[in-house]
Amino acid sequence: MALTESPELAPGANPRPPASPESHSTPLSERLTGFLTNQQTILLLVLIGMVVVFSILNPIFFSLDVFGNVLLDWGPVALIAVAETFVIISGGIDLSVGATLGFSGVIAAYAMQAMTAAGMGDSITILCGTLVAAATGMFVGFVNSLLINRLHLVPFIATLATLGAAGGMSIVLTGGAPVGDGPQSAIDLSVPWLGPLSWPLIVVIVVVIIAGLFLHKARFGRYTYAIGSNPFAALAAGINVKRHLTKIYVLSGLLSGLAGMFLYIRLGSGAPTSGVGDELDAIAAVVIGGVALAGGIGRMSGTVLGSLILATVTSGLIIIGVEPNWKQVVVAILIAAAVSLQALRANGKRS
Amino acid sequence: MKRIIQTVGAVSIATSLLLVASACSSTTTATPSTPGAKSLTIAFVMGAEADPFFKAMKVGATAETSANGDKLIWQGDPSLYSPATQIPIVDQVLAQKPDCLVLIPTDPDALQASVAKATAAKIPVVNVDTHVTDLSNVVSFITGDNTQGGAAAADQMATAIGYKAGGSYKVVAGLTSATATTNVDRLKGFEDQLAAKYPGVTVVDTAYSQSQPATANSNVSNWLTKYPDLAGIFAIDGTNATGASSALQAKGLTGKVALIGYDAYKTNVDLIAKGVFTALIAQNPAEEAKQAIDACQSFIQTGKSSIAAKVTLPNITMNKDTSAADLTKYTYVQ
Amino acid sequence: MTDTSAPLYEVRNISKSYGSVIALDNASLAVRAGEVVGLVGDNGAGKSTLVKALAGAHRPDSGQIFLDGIERHWASPHEALQAGVETLYQESSLAPHLSVSANVFLGREIVSPGLLGKLGFLAQKKMDAEAHADLERVGIAVPASNRPVSQLSGGQRQAVAIGRTVSWARKVIILDEPTNHLGARQSKEVLQVIRAAKAKGLGVIFISHTLPHILEVTDRIVVLRLGKIVKDAPTSDFDVDTLLGTITGLLV
Repeated sequence: MALTESPELAPGANPRPPASPESHSTPLSERLTGFLTNQQTILLLVLIGMVVVFSILNPIFFSLDVFGNVLLDWGPVALIAVAETFVIISGGIDLSVGATLGFSGVIAAYAMQAMTAAGMGDSITILCGTLVAAATGMFVGFVNSLLINRLHLVPFIATLATLGAAGGMSIVLTGGAPVGDGPQSAIDLSVPWLGPLSWPLIVVIVVVIIAGLFLHKARFGRYTYAIGSNPFAALAAGINVKRHLTKIYVLSGLLSGLAGMFLYIRLGSGAPTSGVGDELDAIAAVVIGGVALAGGIGRMSGTVLGSLILATVTSGLIIIGVEPNWKQVVVAILIAAAVSLQALRANGKRS
Repeated sequence: MKRIIQTVGAVSIATSLLLVASACSSTTTATPSTPGAKSLTIAFVMGAEADPFFKAMKVGATAETSANGDKLIWQGDPSLYSPATQIPIVDQVLAQKPDCLVLIPTDPDALQASVAKATAAKIPVVNVDTHVTDLSNVVSFITGDNTQGGAAAADQMATAIGYKAGGSYKVVAGLTSATATTNVDRLKGFEDQLAAKYPGVTVVDTAYSQSQPATANSNVSNWLTKYPDLAGIFAIDGTNATGASSALQAKGLTGKVALIGYDAYKTNVDLIAKGVFTALIAQNPAEEAKQAIDACQSFIQTGKSSIAAKVTLPNITMNKDTSAADLTKYTYVQ
Repeated sequence: MTDTSAPLYEVRNISKSYGSVIALDNASLAVRAGEVVGLVGDNGAGKSTLVKALAGAHRPDSGQIFLDGIERHWASPHEALQAGVETLYQESSLAPHLSVSANVFLGREIVSPGLLGKLGFLAQKKMDAEAHADLERVGIAVPASNRPVSQLSGGQRQAVAIGRTVSWARKVIILDEPTNHLGARQSKEVLQVIRAAKAKGLGVIFISHTLPHILEVTDRIVVLRLGKIVKDAPTSDFDVDTLLGTITGLLV
């Protein structure tokens, strides 16, 4: 591209009226093609297509009951995928989300076991358990940020270390068995009461919306994109990059902790093997949703759709009676398709 | 304040590493109580230290060795059930020249060389729970009977669903993996028993949870939607039992759909009384360990001829008729 | 500009070494308000080190820094920014995935009024409009301030970067090789922006390898060689040949 072909650069030449973004409206045809090649639109069509195909193969799929099952699978994956969205957009990666999920669930389970043994009510116990799970997750996230900021480990290695530590601690503490004897009514909380929605799911949806607003509308997200896009630019602009990364990894831990509590409520116990390998589901959801592993690119809506697609595949395959291990194959195809689409679009923009 | 938080972080990492390290090398010693007999050193290399199944086994092994005045070397990876970590552990144990090696091979072929090494060093080998492919150098193989356990589960299922000849019943089975021999044997025992005694019962669906209780829960939740007339669920191990029982409770189908589980984790044993589990089939790891220790002792004292090459211990069935004392006794140690 | 006015921004006897390598040796430099100082030197002469000290990115081993006659010790580039010293680095200091306005306001975002603003929610439309107006004020027009920087041409990006630096600067701007990789026409535009900054009364430190640009726009030229200031004289004392001779050391 020839630099001289930029008449806009003419210095001070044509004084325009104070500009507003609307004054640069794009023609309708361009908008339409933009809409059709938009990652979110494609994901939405894929999701709808999946629901249609599953429903044709087994009509029982198209029911509130199954949507409830899908959302139940979606909840914890959505939380850690949201965490991963922030981390990956900032140019990092968090491999510890799954292990942190399990570890937080176990620690919360012990806390709730003790509270229940002390005769405390279920509601207060569950509330405190949620806080304990969140705090445990934040602690792991803080350790990640120390390893990255102070010991200068790359995020992959730092979070691989905490994955091992948190996962190992869960097994060592529990001896591999689920931790129960908590509040009796925990499991009842995962019963849907608002259509396919249960209380934990409503919390997840609220958290996802707030996270989306902070990513796209607030300074927190702006800095996250800036650091992932060009860390030098972020530093030069006076952003405290280390402090912001600390916030991101602590947030990632917090969301993983909440996911751990979600699974506690679903299973009625804190299982140490919960979350094992879930980081890969989260990363898959995020990549399918259009977040680039190189950082700087991605939308929360993409993550939501990506994680919904994963959850739909999981339940759909069971309902139509296909061996669920096929899920891995379907996910692999979706990842390949999503990434090639990104590359295609990037090339299209450049030419 | 910031410093303090950093210090706490560093200390907690260090502590977790230490915990893992100490779990690697736990050794239990007992003082001899029978001064006349020769005190033996028996090495016991199991699968994964943290698993309640092996913890229960350790209780049995410790009790039996201390009763005889023997020394027990208890070894295994803290959490990984894997030949890659187990082989070096066996090497290290053999270097201590024990009188006998009790081995739970994590892979039938990978651990064959370790058995040969022990035999070459004139250390007798006993297999428990799982076995190496070539048993010719193994003194004895002691195992829980997974096929029998599967058949027992089928019997419990038939009772729970009120099986009548000529009726038609749908059940599902939640599995962990397609290759684990325990899964394969239990499912075979279950299906064979159904075919032989309860031909009206059909296993309409199976799925794998890959050790994830949440996946097991998801599978069962969807089956409950897919088969509104589902009669029963066979959850083949502890993970699937946890997932299936929570799904049943959340769908409000406790007692309406029969649930037969496997493995006596405390959380699941507690759910028998609540009617969530119709029955649990449990292994008896402490007894397996005790018999393995006994096999070591009798081999050293009297030679191979006196020992059964294979000992199969029946599984235990726990249901609402089981006494509280037995429920506690067979619950895996945590 | 009269050389008798007090310096706006000044470094005195700055030294900095990296291990056994002496990057800067007792270097002093001053810029007055409304003055453009050219800083030239061969590769490895210490220009980048001096720029980093001026920008607050590196702490010198010894020496002093004065802004408005007050001694400063920059702990970070952020402190220098806040004090009114803007730097355009040679490396790209734009985030390509962010829009033009997001880049212009990076680190100094305008937030919404009220509670949302306290939570860090941004007044995006206001920033879009203001970014556009700010860039125009310093003589740069970009197509739409809500477009990502990655969609702009190389020249446009550099224009945005310079425009941001100039529009935020309250006292001093340091431009490290701003015309690098630019065509003749864009370079002319950059020089125009430098003149505009001078007219605004800013102190400008302009680093470049392109000697005609230096001779065209500066009031004074400082020559660095092997970490030392070897010449500090009015631009009128130089032509391309004498300047080149001073830089290479063939002429003293």
